[in-house]
Amino acid sequence: MHYTLKSVLAAAALTVGGAGLVPATAQAQEQSCGTDRTIDIAEMTWASAAALAHIHAIILEEGFGCDVAIVTGDTVPTSSSMLTRGTPAIAPELWTSTIQDAWEEGLGAGEVVDLGEAIAEGTVEGWFIPQYTKDANPELVSADDVVARPDLFPDPEDASKGRIYSCPPGWACEISTSALFEAYDMDEAGWNLFSPGSGGALDASIARAFLREEPILFYYWGPTAVLGKFPTYQLEMPEADPAIYACNTDSACDEPARKTAYPSSPAIVGAASWVAEEAPELVEYFGKVGLTNAEINEMLVYGDEKQADAAATAEHFLATKEDIWTQWVTPETAEKVRASLS
Amino acid sequence: MFPELIDTRPLRRSIDEGLNWVVRNWGDGFEAAARPLLILLNAIEGLLVATPWWLIIGLLALIAWLATRRWQLPTVVAAALFLVGLMDLWRDAMSTMALMLAATITAIIVSIPVGVAMSRSFNVRRAMTPLLDLMQTLPSFVYLIPTVMIFGPGKIPALIATIVYAAPPLVRLTDLGLRSVDPAVMEASRAFGTNPTQRLFGVQIPLALPTILAGVNQTTMMALAMVVIASMIGAGGLGYQVLQGIGRLEVSRGLFAGLGIVVLAIVFDRITQAFGKQLQGKIGLSEQRA
Repeated sequence: MHYTLKSVLAAAALTVGGAGLVPATAQAQEQSCGTDRTIDIAEMTWASAAALAHIHAIILEEGFGCDVAIVTGDTVPTSSSMLTRGTPAIAPELWTSTIQDAWEEGLGAGEVVDLGEAIAEGTVEGWFIPQYTKDANPELVSADDVVARPDLFPDPEDASKGRIYSCPPGWACEISTSALFEAYDMDEAGWNLFSPGSGGALDASIARAFLREEPILFYYWGPTAVLGKFPTYQLEMPEADPAIYACNTDSACDEPARKTAYPSSPAIVGAASWVAEEAPELVEYFGKVGLTNAEINEMLVYGDEKQADAAATAEHFLATKEDIWTQWVTPETAEKVRASLS
Repeated sequence: MFPELIDTRPLRRSIDEGLNWVVRNWGDGFEAAARPLLILLNAIEGLLVATPWWLIIGLLALIAWLATRRWQLPTVVAAALFLVGLMDLWRDAMSTMALMLAATITAIIVSIPVGVAMSRSFNVRRAMTPLLDLMQTLPSFVYLIPTVMIFGPGKIPALIATIVYAAPPLVRLTDLGLRSVDPAVMEASRAFGTNPTQRLFGVQIPLALPTILAGVNQTTMMALAMVVIASMIGAGGLGYQVLQGIGRLEVSRGLFAGLGIVVLAIVFDRITQAFGKQLQGKIGLSEQRA
């Protein structure tokens, strides 16, 4: 790499003044990948992470000149592969709360690094009802209010009880939702905890209810196209208490389940540690790429309505949201990305 | 790359909107139409769950004995089912068994008449064969999600998906069995002045029964193969345990539940096969083939 005096000065300014004081001139530099190794980006199975993977892939490939590959992944397999084998290099939206112990151990051992927030204010998780149900029954404000009314949400397979749609099997939220089901004494109150079996089936059930304007009580999380697309009302729950939540989700904890909201879990950009060592400019880049829930929901609704796949959604985002992503890179890099889009 | 001759997006969107329209307007009707299936499944499941475990093991061992008249198979059946109980999977195994039985019963009711029609009319066979190919090869999630939207999640779409996947071998084998009845036998029965209905029920079906039973055996196996997929749309049972095991990286849980499915498969496979052999012996086919 060829260092100009300016960049050396800029680097000095960086070290002395910290990231906040980067002089404007430093922004006008060529950004390069820094490593010859293929940067494999994990495309997770859910829409927001898939779109983010493609956005970063385009910027890294076109803007930074990296050799980029997109690989399919999911929270547990991807993170364990990152921890043990250093690949994939980047997980653009990693919910570390699901894999907390292993992840923290890996951070400590220097196998992985946390490059920054993927979702700026953290994620949304909770119990939702459709807005039209809320409008028809304005007294339904908190989870307690809804638990008292199983008759409003009848189970089609057992009409005498109410049905709450839980989380797909094996996801961490399945355990926490089951614990809350217990904490709210919903069995006593006449409810069935229904497992939809898979994310696809949960989405289909929600879509069905909204199409037919039927009441439905369901667990969901954001940022997602579902929350962006359907007007929902999130039920109030007692303030999130990490201690209670940890006990609720730990099978070894003997205390009975207690009520607590789902804590907002951090969604980060995770990377194998070799990325941080070999490509410091990418570290700087990923430190800036956090999006808000609203921005991601908006992006996902586009993908959903236009039937665009993750790659097309990413291109649309890059084409229409320049004000957001050009902040992440230098003008030169932005120009290269822009040129590749047209 | 293939040139983009037409823009498929409007077409795809109209398909999606068509499905939404169906869900919005006909959802209730479809749900009501599928009600008998749900009643059948719930009745079987209720019965299996209410029956004490030792009675179920005893009954299945008895059936195995009736099929073979030897002690080996009943012992294997009883031991295998006992193992399922030991692994703490009894309740789930009963749900899965109920789903499999309901699917097999429905498949028999639907498939045998279709197979008969195929064996008698070339046009029906020509129309049905590609449909059967489609049912067997279309990835199940393609029709699972629309079925969930139309029928609501839970047992009904799971049962429908299982039937769609499990029925084709029975249809094919019924058709094959009826067509491969010896022409000489058919001619002889015609010479005795039988009418077509008498020939079908008195000659063809009895002679084709071993093949049809092989079809039932295949249907049972395919229904069991479908249980994990069916759990992905809310069916519960052993498949659900497998899914949980995969999702939480609890290899043991997945393995146990998987072995439970294997046990059920072995039990029902051996029993139906033994009945098939017994039947073949009765109509003298075994000597002919030997």
